[in-house]
Amino acid sequence: MGMSRSKGPYTMQPPVMSVRVEDSMDIMIVRDTIRRAGSLLGFSPANRAQMASAAATLAELVLKTGEPQLLHLNGVTHGHKTGLQISSAAPWLANVSTNNVLIALRSKLGDLVDEILMEGENPPIIFMVMWMNEARGDRKVTDDDGQPEA
Amino acid sequence: MTMALEALLIEDSKTQAAQIKDTLESVGLRVRVAYDGPEGLREAIENPPALVILDVKLPTMDGFQVCRRLKRNPSTQDIPIIMLTEKADPKATMSGLRAGADDYIPKDIFAAEHLMETLRELGIL
Repeated sequence: MGMSRSKGPYTMQPPVMSVRVEDSMDIMIVRDTIRRAGSLLGFSPANRAQMASAAATLAELVLKTGEPQLLHLNGVTHGHKTGLQISSAAPWLANVSTNNVLIALRSKLGDLVDEILMEGENPPIIFMVMWMNEARGDRKVTDDDGQPEA
Repeated sequence: MTMALEALLIEDSKTQAAQIKDTLESVGLRVRVAYDGPEGLREAIENPPALVILDVKLPTMDGFQVCRRLKRNPSTQDIPIIMLTEKADPKATMSGLRAGADDYIPKDIFAAEHLMETLRELGIL
């Protein structure tokens, strides 16, 4: 874990951390690190659990490619909004349609994160962002499709 | 002398229940253990604890159902529920949070640390 720089559409703010993903143990470290970053930014435990699951999923994807990558975990701001961003270079996606990648990631991650973006080509970089907002503190019990229970 | 807060642990594995119970007792909590969903629901409703620690894979009724029922019941809906589980994939995580869990923690080497952090944040410790 260490300081890092990563691009992306939003202004970066502390905490700024990175984890090198090269074996399965690193998935646990990614989960732990993103929970700590989320805690520093004031995300609730439930939101930290969401981000940890999203980050672990990205780390698992990296592991499957067999090529170690740095996962960057950092705060971001956009206007008055504060968020938590996970990003990683994805050279294995260099020749894959951005739309197809985003559809596949959204299908796998569901509502765990607010935004999934892909930027650049050489290599492409995947960004996932969760924004902090008041609605997140007002969670309702829902069924598995996210619909409020009758 | 103040009475220690009580946690209800719903976990079907006796080995894991003993380990989690030890961890919770080491920070001063009293712990009751239920070994399946219906027993856990009954315990929580009859004698509401300060906190529920809930496994997902349980016989008879899974942890998501238990969580949803506790969060729907006016007498238990305000009890914090932390799901502590081996099922860590995105779908399971969202199922737990949608069921109303206050946190969803995979059983990995950082689990005890994350659990303690959340207990502090919830004002239990």
